[in-house]
Parts: sequence; C-alpha cells; structure tokens
Amino acid sequence: MKTADPGLDRGPAGVEVGASSAPPARIGPPSIRAAGLGWTYSGRTRPALQGLTFELEPGRVLLVLGPSGSGKSTLARALAGLVPHVLPGDWRGQLRIGDLDVAETPARVLGERVGLVFQDPDSQLVMTRVDDEVAFGLENRAWPRDRMQARVPEALRQVGLSGFDRRRTATLSGGEKQRLAIADVLAAQPSLLVFDEPTANLDPPGMYATLEQLAALARRREHTIVLIEHRLEAALPLADDVLLLDDEGRQLAFSRAGAVDRNAVAMLERSGAWIPHAWQGTNLSSRAASQSVDDGPGPAARQVLLEATDLQVDYPADEDGPHRALDGVSFRAMAGERTAIVGPNGSGKSTLLFALSGLRRPDRGSVRLRALAVDGELAEEMRDPSRLPAEEIAPRVGVVFQDPELGFVARTARDEVLATDRAARGRRGREGGPPPDADGVLARFGLGYLADENPFRLSQGEQRRLSLAGLVIRPPAVLLLDEPTFGLDRRGTDSVISLLNELRATGQAQLLATHDPRLLPACDRVVALDRGRIVFDGRPAQFLADPPYALAEPWRDVVVLAETTR
Amino acid sequence: MSLLPAPLAPVRPAFLTRVTPVARLTAGMTWLVAAIVTLDPAVPTRLVVAAVVALVLWSGLPLRRIPGRLAPLGLAILSLTVFSILLSGSNADRSIAALVELGPIRITGPAVSAGLAIGIRVVVIGLTTLLVFGPSDPTRLADSLVQQWHAPDRFAYGTLAALRVAPILAGDWAVISAARRLRGIQPRGAVGRTRDLGDRLLVMLVSSIRRAERLALAMDARGFDSGIRRTHFRELRVGWRDLLTVAVALAVAAAALVLPR
Repeated sequence: MKTADPGLDRGPAGVEVGASSAPPARIGPPSIRAAGLGWTYSGRTRPALQGLTFELEPGRVLLVLGPSGSGKSTLARALAGLVPHVLPGDWRGQLRIGDLDVAETPARVLGERVGLVFQDPDSQLVMTRVDDEVAFGLENRAWPRDRMQARVPEALRQVGLSGFDRRRTATLSGGEKQRLAIADVLAAQPSLLVFDEPTANLDPPGMYATLEQLAALARRREHTIVLIEHRLEAALPLADDVLLLDDEGRQLAFSRAGAVDRNAVAMLERSGAWIPHAWQGTNLSSRAASQSVDDGPGPAARQVLLEATDLQVDYPADEDGPHRALDGVSFRAMAGERTAIVGPNGSGKSTLLFALSGLRRPDRGSVRLRALAVDGELAEEMRDPSRLPAEEIAPRVGVVFQDPELGFVARTARDEVLATDRAARGRRGREGGPPPDADGVLARFGLGYLADENPFRLSQGEQRRLSLAGLVIRPPAVLLLDEPTFGLDRRGTDSVISLLNELRATGQAQLLATHDPRLLPACDRVVALDRGRIVFDGRPAQFLADPPYALAEPWRDVVVLAETTR
Repeated sequence: MSLLPAPLAPVRPAFLTRVTPVARLTAGMTWLVAAIVTLDPAVPTRLVVAAVVALVLWSGLPLRRIPGRLAPLGLAILSLTVFSILLSGSNADRSIAALVELGPIRITGPAVSAGLAIGIRVVVIGLTTLLVFGPSDPTRLADSLVQQWHAPDRFAYGTLAALRVAPILAGDWAVISAARRLRGIQPRGAVGRTRDLGDRLLVMLVSSIRRAERLALAMDARGFDSGIRRTHFRELRVGWRDLLTVAVALAVAAAALVLPR
C-alpha cells in the first residue's frame, strides 16, 4: 500500500502546514510523549497500563501491538482524554500531545486536537442520517452553520462517501458505517488520529475499504496516527513505528517498524498476541501446530447430520424493496466435518445459521437435522428443527452467537456448563446417574478458578471459552458458530480451535460463519455465500488459491498468510 | 438482519414533511384534546375523517404500508371496544332495552355507543401520531425540540441515540430467547415462564447498559455536552407552513367539537 521509505520524505510537518493554504484553525500534527504513563481503572487492582515511556515524532504512524488485556484500548482512550477526564481511575506519569499535558488539559480542548475511531460502528454512530452524523461532532464544538455546511460534504468526500448525505445510517454496510465514523472524526480536523481496531467488526470488503482509507490518510502525512489493529499483514506496512505491549500493560519495546528487537517479538508472542508473519522466525510455529489437522473425523464420519434443501428466506420489504436473504441454498454437513461459511455482510451467513438452527423457518425449502448417536449408530430419523420442542432441538443443534454474553443462560460459570444437562434431566423426572463433572470441564477450558463467577464478569476471551464449555456435556450433533474468534488474540484463537477439536472428536459437524481468514486452514471445507447464493464449495486451500470473484480482492493478503503457515 | 419492519418514512415530498416537528406536535395536540374532552362519538369520527384526508394528501407517507403498520393497533382497538361494550355499566340497567341478550350477556344501545366512542378515540390517537411523527425522521424532532422548545441537549440527543439503537436491541432480544431454546430450556407453567422472562430481561439489561456505555463514550469523544453551547447544522425556523398547520388543525378540532350532529 505504501511505497515510499517512511520518514525520509517530509520535514517538520507543523511548519509545512502553516506555510500552506490550509485553514488557519488547522494545527500541524503533534508529537506524543509518554513518561512513566500508567492507569488503573477504579475498582480494579491490576493496572491497565504501566510505565509507558516513548516519544513519537510528529506526523508518524504508530502501530500498537499486544494481546488481549494489554491496555491498547486504554492507551487510545488516554490519547483522546477519556482517560482520565471521563472514566474514573488512577493516573500515573505523564502523557503529552504536542504542547498539551493530557492530565491537565480539559477533555474539550483535547477533543479538538484528537479524533478517536472505535471498533464497533453500531456503538459510535449517533444520528439517523449521514449528514447529521458528520455534523454531530461539529455542532458539539460550536462550529458556525456555514462552515459546517461546507465541511460535511468535504469530510464525506475524503472517505469516499460523497452523495451519501441523505442516506439513513442504518442502511449502510459495515464498511460504509466505519468509513462514516472516520469522516466524523476527520470533519473536526483533528491533528492526531487514533484508531482502536477499526476493522474488527467488518467483513473482508469493509475491512479492505477501511484499510485503504487508513493507508490514504497515512500517505497524506497531515496527521499523527496511532493505529491499534489486528489485521497485521495490512497494518504493518503502514506503520513507521511500533509499540509492543505485554499482557500486563507493560511496554516491551518502542522502535522503528523495520528494526524491532527480536527478544521483544519473542516476548510479545509468548504473551499471546498476534505477530505479523514478517517477524516470525523459523521456530515460531506454535500457531500452525495447534491448527494442523487433528485426529480427524471419528468412526461416525460420512454420516449426514444436516441436510438443507433449496432454502429460501425473505425479509419483509424495506425502502430498498423486498430482500431475499437466502436463495436456493442446498447443502449437507457430515459428521466430524468442519466447514467455514464465508461471504460479505448481507450475503446471508447469519440468516443461514438462523435457518439451520430452526430459529427462522425458511419461506421455501427444508432443513433436516439428526441427533448424534452415542454408539456410532444413528437411530433417529432426520427432523425439521423449526417444528421441534426445545428438548428435542438441544441434542441436534447448538449455536454460539457472536456476542457470547447474549447466549448465557445461568448465573455462574458452573451452572452455565450444566444448563443443557439440567434441562434434559428436569424433563425426564429424576434421571439416574451422578451429575456430570462440570468443574472438570471448566478446568479443561482453563476456567477452573472461575466456576462460581458470574458469566457476565468474565473477560471477552473467557466468555468465548465458557460459551463453548456449555456445549461439552450433551454436545449437539451440529454446532453452528457465528464469528467464534471475533476479538480474540492469538492465544484466544488457538484455545478456541483446540476446544473445537475436542468437540469434533464426538463426531460433531461444525459450521463456522467467519470473516477471519486465519481460521480457514483449520477447516475441512469452505462454503462462500454471495447475495444469498452459494458461489463456492470446496477445500480451504482451493478457496485461498482462487477465491470467487466477489471476494477475491479482500482475501488476497490472506493467501500469502496461508502459504506461510502451511 | 431486519427483525423489525423498516420505519415508515415519507416516499415523496409533501406539505407536512416541510412543517417543523414541533408545529406538527402542537397541531396534533389540539386533535387529541378535542377527541378526549367529549363523550360524543361524532367528534372523534370527524377527526378520523380529517386525519385520513391529511394522511392521503399531505403526509408523503406510502399509503399502501399504513394499514399494515396500524394492524397491531387495530387489534388493540377491537379488543378495547369489545370489552368496553361488554363491561359497560348501562348493560346492567334493566330500564334500558337490550339490543342483544344471550344468557348472562346483555348489551344495551348506550353501551355500544360508549364502547365505539372509546375505540374510535384510540383510532384518532393512532392516526394523529402518524401525522405528527411520520413525515420527518426523529432527528428533526430532536432538533426541533432543542431549537424551538429549548429542551436540554442531553435529553433530546440522548433519546435520539437510544432510538437509533432500538432495532439492534430487538435483534439482541431474539438472540437471547433463541439461546435458551437451543439449550433445551423450556419453561413450564406460569411461575416457570415468569422466571424465564426475568432471566432474559436481566441479560438484556446488562447487555444494553454495556452498549449504552460504549455509545456514551463515543459521544463524549466527539465533544458532546462538554460545556460549550452547541450550534445546529440544520436550522429550523417557524414559517408560514407551521402557522398554517397549527391554525388549520385548531379550526378542524373546533369544528369537530361544535358542529351539530
């Protein structure tokens, strides 16, 4: 994306901007200086950040790397002044943005210099119409109306959303929403831009468009940019400098992106973070090992557990007319088979999961599911899940939703693991046999010490593992997962995959709807959807080598990655 | 995924789409007051006719989609009317001749007219609400409330943000309920169902509070309510259309009240 040697092609940017015809309000990109910076959220004992000391020169692009819990988002919040001015906690050391001391500058003043783009577009858009949305931040900063009217279309043009002014924000795609969020912050002409995992919630086309946008901003050199991003293959080429954090919020290294200390990289990898493959040495193959083909399907293999025939699902008409989410999808899942379902947002992935689990009855076509037999023999005939009572669905199909929190059914982790079994026993009177070993399951999933904890108090990675642990006792024959590695670092992703391997050993068929290319090598099969139709069905290697037309561009980075991990 | 129907929005420019929301709100109030102050069913009936005329001619709303949108309300109105008729006190009055007498059920003429009067008032409320809120999106209403009625920013735009998140929460609710079904949890009996509903509401509460916190943080990051007096991207001025709308609505309400039967 970026070609020129970073750092050589520009002088002190502040001087340049002052000399140009930019509006007088525009301030040149600032430096960032941290000295012993630390932060502990109130009510927590463990610091989110500790002892950060670095100096980023004006106009440079900093990529921040670290595992979950390394304080990356906290750093983003501190740069925007939300920490310490909005969120309560204990501040240590000093953070300066240009000539402003963050701890002593009101959030209002910082807000004029700093633009922060968050991860989830749905949690940062405020208004229902695009132009109002861009104007919102300007209104808050009391811009006069005529300047706003000139600036709003300009900001939209900068992110490639010209002509979207009157669109309703709810009708935008994920990528469009995120570019709108970028327009929101650009509109106020900040000199420091902070991006906190801006592509995490996006499908490959949205991710690609957003990263292109970041690349364009980085090339223009009008801003100092701090980027937190886990799509490292795309993000690393944009970076001039990198900041490495460990899982306790400590600084492992701050250096030029091309000259990172190998020891620091090794420590970063040990802390569970994703590592760009350019930094991976020959011995750093822990990830590939855990993803390599496991024992494979058991004796029950080649049994059809799920059969969907000619599925059609329509949603009620909205302003864009009627919407056909699935259009003639036919497909079978075999015992022990793990299938990735890929495709852009709106291609029908979530609808397919809803239809296959019987939560949405198709308008045409049928779904048939078989319960998994205990002795490798499938006794029961196949049934339509949408017509079954809850107790007959549970043994056939389970779903892990993208937000595990919404799927929790109990008040403690232990009860969460036992819930399916309790529901099954409760119905058949006092079914014999000792209660299952919930604590053993929790221990295997690394959650042993959290057995009595409320599921809502767990971290993102722990919640994800608990949602899988809940499916171990009386596992469903077919498991559907919506973005099972969303928001997880390398360690979290690895543990999800090994847990899925354990579940698959029971003969389970697994379907993963995902945007994460790193999951594909761990699957047996890839099904790609586009506009409600299957456009590809085959081996992952085949998909990565020659992705179907509509998806080709966004997945290209991945091909390289897949080759290096193979 | 669209679990909720798309909001009813104008499909063509029309007179009422160019009237500021607070003017429509004021105009609508006059009708609601007129519909409520009298027991005479003729008044709300006239207002229903006026509201339908206004919807067809001046709202810009897609007419074909209106009946579908009002269907749930229609059910409520029907049951309300039926129960009002059945439970009316005049049914017990033996001095009034019964229209229908079926075993214990006895229905009199005054009961029917009182029941219909209640039902038709709810129709007025429904149609007026559509006329007030239908022709422009909620953002305009918030702008209008802040600029013309000087409502606090935090209230008006906070509510607006909540409104934008509402469909997302509806999706969350579907997921919460589905998750329980898929784990084989099927509550039995009134107690079981109530407890299950409570459990689901708790999950919903926790997750919507988290969502609200994230949104509030994003709003703070963009300088919301930081002590500066906000400016307004879109200026709403009271114009002749607004005055005309209020005047006509007032005249219609007055006429509906005073015209002889």
